[in-house]
Amino acid sequence: MSTNLPDALAEYAEIVFLAPEKCKFSMTAGGFLALEYGEDKFPVVSAYRSFPLTLGDKYISIRDDKEKEIGIIVDLADFSSDQANLVRAELERRYFTPVVETVVKMKEEFGYIYWEVITDRGPRRFTSRGQHDSIVPVSDTRILILDVDGNRFDVPDVRLLDAKSAKLLESLM
Amino acid sequence: MSDIAALFLSAGKNIETVLDGETVHAKILHDVSLDGRYIEGWVYVTPTRVIVTLGDQVTKEMPITAAKSYKTLGLIGSGQLEADVDGTPIILARFNLRQMPLYANAVKFLNKVASGAETPFYTEVEERTCPKCGRIYPDESRICPACINRRQVVKRLMKMAFPHWKLIFVVTLLFWLRAGLNLINPQLFRIFIDEVVAPGQADVRLFVFYISLITLLGPVGQSVCDMTRSLVVTRLSAQLGQDLRNMVYCKLQALSLNYVSKRKTGDLMNRVNNDTGTIQSFIQQQLVSVINDGLMLIGIGTILFITNWQMALMVLVPAPLVMFIMRRAWSTFDRRYHRQWRLSDRTNSLLQDILSGMRVVKAFGQEKREIERFTRYSKRWADVTAANERFYNTFFPLLGFLMGTGSYLLLWRGGVEIWQGEMTLGGLVQYSTYAGMIWGPLRNFTFMPRWFSQAMTAAERVFEILDEHPDVDDKPNAKRVKIAGRVQLEHVYFGYRSYEPVLLDICVDVAEGEMIGLVGHSGAGKSTFINLVCRFYDPDEGRILIDGMDVRDIQQSDLRRQIGVVLQEPFLFSGSIYENIAYAKPDATASEIIRAAKIANAHDFIMRFRDGYDTKVGERGQRLSGGERQRISIARAILHDPRILILDEATASVDTETEQLIQDALAKLVKNRTTFAIAHRLSTLRNANRLFVFEKGKIVEMGTHEDLYNQGGIYRKLVDAQMDLFRMRETSLSAVKE
Repeated sequence: MSTNLPDALAEYAEIVFLAPEKCKFSMTAGGFLALEYGEDKFPVVSAYRSFPLTLGDKYISIRDDKEKEIGIIVDLADFSSDQANLVRAELERRYFTPVVETVVKMKEEFGYIYWEVITDRGPRRFTSRGQHDSIVPVSDTRILILDVDGNRFDVPDVRLLDAKSAKLLESLM
Repeated sequence: MSDIAALFLSAGKNIETVLDGETVHAKILHDVSLDGRYIEGWVYVTPTRVIVTLGDQVTKEMPITAAKSYKTLGLIGSGQLEADVDGTPIILARFNLRQMPLYANAVKFLNKVASGAETPFYTEVEERTCPKCGRIYPDESRICPACINRRQVVKRLMKMAFPHWKLIFVVTLLFWLRAGLNLINPQLFRIFIDEVVAPGQADVRLFVFYISLITLLGPVGQSVCDMTRSLVVTRLSAQLGQDLRNMVYCKLQALSLNYVSKRKTGDLMNRVNNDTGTIQSFIQQQLVSVINDGLMLIGIGTILFITNWQMALMVLVPAPLVMFIMRRAWSTFDRRYHRQWRLSDRTNSLLQDILSGMRVVKAFGQEKREIERFTRYSKRWADVTAANERFYNTFFPLLGFLMGTGSYLLLWRGGVEIWQGEMTLGGLVQYSTYAGMIWGPLRNFTFMPRWFSQAMTAAERVFEILDEHPDVDDKPNAKRVKIAGRVQLEHVYFGYRSYEPVLLDICVDVAEGEMIGLVGHSGAGKSTFINLVCRFYDPDEGRILIDGMDVRDIQQSDLRRQIGVVLQEPFLFSGSIYENIAYAKPDATASEIIRAAKIANAHDFIMRFRDGYDTKVGERGQRLSGGERQRISIARAILHDPRILILDEATASVDTETEQLIQDALAKLVKNRTTFAIAHRLSTLRNANRLFVFEKGKIVEMGTHEDLYNQGGIYRKLVDAQMDLFRMRETSLSAVKE
């Protein structure tokens, strides 16, 4: 891995990159992810995205049950598909973010927005604050909606929505 | 593993069968499946078991005591309930974050039962749905925004206007007068044409009289009337605007730190200034024209129909179509202008952001990028505004044309009636003047949606703040007391969110006049501890006593008056040094101020300024160094003479030499006061009577510096680590010198 840090500083930023061939992920009976890395065994590990919004499957930090970093997966694509899927399932659990497919209704009242949407996980109703805090523009076409409880909904590309949904969302962007 | 397999023994059975009549303490929604789909499942908590279902089919069942402990885990966008069965963690259920408080509450019960204690099930979670419409209350508020309607907003505005009824009465009179003047003029014109200048009439006196009357009641009378009215209305709206602004501002002061710190300064400023301003200008300009136009419409409509109802109908032929289009236009306007408002708001916030961070921008040479960023935002705002104006300016001329078609029909019909002798020339002139006058108000009414929705949005936003309940509220029987300084915390639990505890079971007893050093890594709970002592927040469990009295029984203003705070980045208001020192005691005499400054080691540097104590400091005290500002804030605290003193990293951002001066000033300040001091440099806490060492929300060590150091625990490690750092710095410094 090449970095752009000045060489003199490189020694202070030791990053352990997990070698795909040394990793063996498995699912515990309790529904958690476990990792055998070479000789080391970790009965419960969790996976954190370094760039949850921009580089979803890259730079994934694997941490043990004390939240200490074991190492970083540079790209899940370097792993076999069943190993990658185990990690993806864990990521899915940590970053539960349904993708909005259709905006059925969106009503703005008294500073709050009442939503009725269909997501890839099923239909949903929720309420969000009608201010900048709840609509997070990720890029010019992508937004993240946070409801009043902190639940998240992703709209990866507003242009790909049907005309009615896009029109409803447009007024917020 | 067999323990885990035992969980699934009743899987597939009906919940009623499995419950077998046992009491259910809680039935909590679990709406996310383990593989991340929305489902409808439930978690049943009974006195002895936890049962998880999908619909009414059981998926897992376990005795509460089968697990060592339970916990909830807040993830991103969802949460989960976990059980620890013989050291193996198991995910029992996942749910959306709304359910989090319910689960957190249940977990308290589960853990107590799991540890063998007998406990009743407390439900401490408040209802969060509106009983009327079933919607959840947004956030912490108890107000259902859906069940408040616009009519009520208008009613509330009117209620607010009521104290100004005298002015309103005058305004109303002027409105009637103005409408009367408008209506009488065409009448005079008819008489002038038909009787004064008709063929065969040559009465010069009558001629002059009518021309004078028309001028006097027309242009002159109307102008005088308009002028008086706008003077009175301006005064009225200015008073109303001020009322609103004050109410919002007072409310903001009353609301807890929690509410204010959650929102951006720019946004709050907008609400105090812009939104109340919008309401003010709505009353001042638009509401006036609406009332005026409404009166005109009624007056003219009546005259038109009485004089000639057939012709009146002709004039109004296009009206239904116009009304229909306008009604459709309402929502479009609402959306478009809301967007414009949002963009302008965002551009403003950005500008404020950049201006406050100007130093950083310049230091990193990013001016160009910031200019580009601002240009991008401002261009988008401009684009949307232009598009809205285009829409507006295309739409209304077209609508105007449509409305005008009626007048052509009128000419045709009127001409025929004159030929037939059924109408005089003056009559037609009068009639078409009235008909022409009706479109003005009608057209203005089409502007109404925009004005009205702008004003209503603003009013909604203002009321939203006014309706907010302070989460730290004074009890009605809260007392005013003189504090001696004993502080006790009894089993205090606290989290900024109830399910993410920051402080756990804190029990301390601090004697009057004692100095306590708070030590620990950042995030360990030191600042939160202080926030609770100041009562910026209330604990979730347990209580805080001052002089043996629950802080919730003491008036907040009274409590804070007796607590003094010296922060790492002292905040000085714009004004003079004098005003800043006297902030907590505005009636302080000059000699008191100087004495305070002397104790704070500030007097000498203040005297070096050309304007002495009258030296102005900028918004953030720009012209003073960190150490100088710090000493001014210490002088402020000394003058304030608090019983309880809080020093939050008071010496962190100054050089060693200044630190000596400040340490010295602080040493005088803490004498005989109960003091809580947070400091990263542990050496500054040597004078403390006792140290509290925080780790992960708990106080893990307590005692004097010597005791704790010799004990060889966490504190020892912290001290040693700092010594190492200090030695390293010394070595590298001497290396540089060589």
